[in-house]
Amino acid sequence: MAIIWLIMLCASLGLMIFTDPAAAVNSMITGAHGAVELSLNLMALYAFWLGFFSLIERLGLSRGLERLLRPVISRLFPSCDAETRKFITMNVSANLLGLGNAATPMAISAINRMDTGDKKASTDMIMLTVISATSLQILPTTVIGMRATAGSANPADFLFPSLIATILSTFIGIVGVKLCAKIFDRPRKNRKAEISTAAPLGNVAATQKPRRTRVKRDRAQKQKRKAVKA
Amino acid sequence: MSAYIIPVLFLIVLAASFIRRREPYGGFIDGAKQAVDLTINVFPYLLAIMVAVEAFRVSGASAMLANALEPVLKSVGLPKELAELMFLRPVSGAGSLAILDGIYTNYGADSYVGRCASVIYGSSETIFYISTIYFSQSHVKRLRYAIPVALVATLTGCIVGCYMLRFF
Repeated sequence: MAIIWLIMLCASLGLMIFTDPAAAVNSMITGAHGAVELSLNLMALYAFWLGFFSLIERLGLSRGLERLLRPVISRLFPSCDAETRKFITMNVSANLLGLGNAATPMAISAINRMDTGDKKASTDMIMLTVISATSLQILPTTVIGMRATAGSANPADFLFPSLIATILSTFIGIVGVKLCAKIFDRPRKNRKAEISTAAPLGNVAATQKPRRTRVKRDRAQKQKRKAVKA
Repeated sequence: MSAYIIPVLFLIVLAASFIRRREPYGGFIDGAKQAVDLTINVFPYLLAIMVAVEAFRVSGASAMLANALEPVLKSVGLPKELAELMFLRPVSGAGSLAILDGIYTNYGADSYVGRCASVIYGSSETIFYISTIYFSQSHVKRLRYAIPVALVATLTGCIVGCYMLRFF
């Protein structure tokens, strides 16, 4: 973010020196004023929604949500232990309710528990990151509030398209991670299996591997060869 | 239809808290209190980015960026006014919030651009920020395919969501 901020500011200042140097200071001060106004508006919105969410929390709805999510989480994160899964479940349910600030510490704890000292992220770590990063929020509270502030006739009228977008993006994210895991993680395992079958006392289990992955890998290799030729 | 969702949700939650004796009034006050701290934490980031965003717009650099990206955005059915939002959304929450506010004041919250921006902001997350902060305390340095997958998924979701806007 720091770099983008620097580029934006330098590019616009550099441009304004040639076009309109007087506008430079004015625009920046206008921006600062806008920030004060926007944060006051945001404070009103945050207070309103956080008040409402604390009622939801007191009702124990987030605990109910966690119970509902548990089977889904254990399917998506097959190689995690129970304690890590608990953190992941809490993270996902907080994200669903739009409590991003509560969700982040849970995710950090979950990632730290999955950490094996390896520099490369494991598939489960990537899955957790992608699920959070594709947004899970059911009720985009900030947007609804800001539209109401801007005088919209019906501030919630984008909810269905937004819900479709967020469900679709999370779904594509999950499928994408599973697919990438197959493409990038499996060949290494298969290579090991091949070596063991080539050895005289080869591992019998290797022959029981499903053939589909091998076909897929062959196809990928063919494509690679084609790419090299081209 | 969508106008009913929030009032009905409020009514259910309020009635349930009253019936289960969870003191709805006190609970609301407790929650609202957190907003002050939250706003103070967000404010410096918001100010820094809004100074840059305003300068970016007044200098004409923003219009250049939008014009340069117009053919790309048009090919997926998005208005060119959303170029800045699409760029900043994965990087900075405060920055995209400032852009969203600007879109509402310039084009109106109920215009197609405003509604499109609402879908994009409401259905996406700060991908780069999340992936940095989640791994901040671990040994992991290489996130491999995490960010590309998240970006492609979010972009597809946004395009479909904006397309759906025409039917709602």
